[in-house]
Amino acid sequence: MTERLQPIATAAKWLVTLWMLLVVIAMFVWVPAYEGLGNTGRIIMVHVPTAWLSTFAFAIAAWYSLMFLRRRDARDDDRALAATELGFLFSILATVTGSMFAKVIWGSYWNWEPRETSILILLLIYGAYFALRSAIEDAERRRQLAAVYALFAFATAPLLTFVVPRLYDTTLHPNCAFLPGSKCNGITLKQNGVGALGDRRVQLLDVQRSGDTVTANVEVSGVGFSNVTTLQPTLNVATGERVTPEFPESRFMLALQSVDDQGVRLNIQAPGNTSQRGNARTTTTLMASLLGFTGLFFWVYNLRTTLLRLRRRVELQGLA
Amino acid sequence: MAEEIKRPVRSVQMNERSAGSFRRAAWAVFRKDVRSELRTRYALNALAVFALTVVLVVSFYLGPRLSPRDPVTPATNATLLWIALFFSALTGLGRAFIQEEEAQTATFLRLNAPPLAVFVGKWLLNMLLLAGLSIVVTVLLSLFMNVRIANLAMFALTLALGSLGLSTTITLIAAIIAKASARSALFAVLAFPVVFPMLVIAITATEQALTGALWSAALPQIQGLGAYAVAMTAAAIFLFPYVWEV
Repeated sequence: MTERLQPIATAAKWLVTLWMLLVVIAMFVWVPAYEGLGNTGRIIMVHVPTAWLSTFAFAIAAWYSLMFLRRRDARDDDRALAATELGFLFSILATVTGSMFAKVIWGSYWNWEPRETSILILLLIYGAYFALRSAIEDAERRRQLAAVYALFAFATAPLLTFVVPRLYDTTLHPNCAFLPGSKCNGITLKQNGVGALGDRRVQLLDVQRSGDTVTANVEVSGVGFSNVTTLQPTLNVATGERVTPEFPESRFMLALQSVDDQGVRLNIQAPGNTSQRGNARTTTTLMASLLGFTGLFFWVYNLRTTLLRLRRRVELQGLA
Repeated sequence: MAEEIKRPVRSVQMNERSAGSFRRAAWAVFRKDVRSELRTRYALNALAVFALTVVLVVSFYLGPRLSPRDPVTPATNATLLWIALFFSALTGLGRAFIQEEEAQTATFLRLNAPPLAVFVGKWLLNMLLLAGLSIVVTVLLSLFMNVRIANLAMFALTLALGSLGLSTTITLIAAIIAKASARSALFAVLAFPVVFPMLVIAITATEQALTGALWSAALPQIQGLGAYAVAMTAAAIFLFPYVWEV
């Protein structure tokens, strides 16, 4: 880094530090407790940014591995290695925070749920990359083979993100895209109307209103009319309070989202799947945290790349 | 002027000649490997003994306990099949490139055949061995675990697509580890994360074939296996020359 950029870099470091400090304070003080999750929900402020950065680091490593194979510049290898190391660190953070949340809310540390499976694979890929690097003595050969492996492993990424999660309809993560056939907005039904939420069939039998509380009688069944049950989700129109009963033999819940003259809007949700759109403070803090963690990532990434370059120089001089 | 007209014609001839010589080179590598395999029978022994051991160990304890009507039985058998295939492949198929490095014939091969021809030749042998292994494991499973295959065509297609992806991945990883130390330990470490997504899909598809699921139900899995084989083959063709040249 040139002398001229040094003050800007120092300022950026202080900005990231201050920013993360504010994010941590906001995460515990400013953000309201989650509906149904309490204080446990605050962990998503760390979980989501670290999970996103672990995938992002994987992409950076693949990009600089490709660049290394094209340009044969050892600095590209430094960047790929720095990104992999940070990706490994961030995926451990994402896994640990996710597991803590899963234990409290879903009942066990590990559920073999699609996203858990794919981050486990990511961890294994990172581990294999380091194992490969440590098993090759010759520096030039090490760089080249590590780049090949990073790119080869990256070729499975589309399969991990799109194919495998779609094969399994049991995801606990709040992402409507992973529930086949369901829409983020749920479905609107009139009396006796039939619809599908995920792979469940739902039929609205009737709607009862007493005071501000609306109760829907909904007949639900699984594939092939299995487990036919009547669930009664309720919504308090004045306070927005909901009762969300669980579908039989599953952790998914049925929520009555709104009532109007078009009918009632029903939706399927996983435990912990609280909508963030409704809460400006949560959204702001999450975005700020994402930005802060990304800044932190690039700070350490730059530091590590510089250190790796210096180490190469020292090694070269030692040989000379 | 005459030069300019001649040049494309000559280059076409060159391309035809190099395509022919590529095929010949790949075939020569394949034949050389088959011959050396038949002499030592290293991979054949490793594959057969490993597959037999896995099936026997599991069937000894689980065989009498698993009833064909138990809904868990097809899942167990599908998992067992792919465990046997994957780990036998790891034991037997890594030899392809290690042997060249150990006998110090890699340089000679590098001088005499284009990189992709070497890859295709080695890949063909691995594919052949995996196809044989799939048949052997299937027969062993039906003998010892009483496996019934409800949809034989789907079962065969799953095995074929799975072996295709597996042999491509294993061949490339074998080429990488041949250049490293601590090879046998490294092979599983490098191969497992890359193969795992395919194993998950293949086990699901195999279970569906064993229980006799409809083609429409198994289509996403079949597509997934096809996509994996295509992605891995494309990546391997692009990456192999970089492994071979160092």
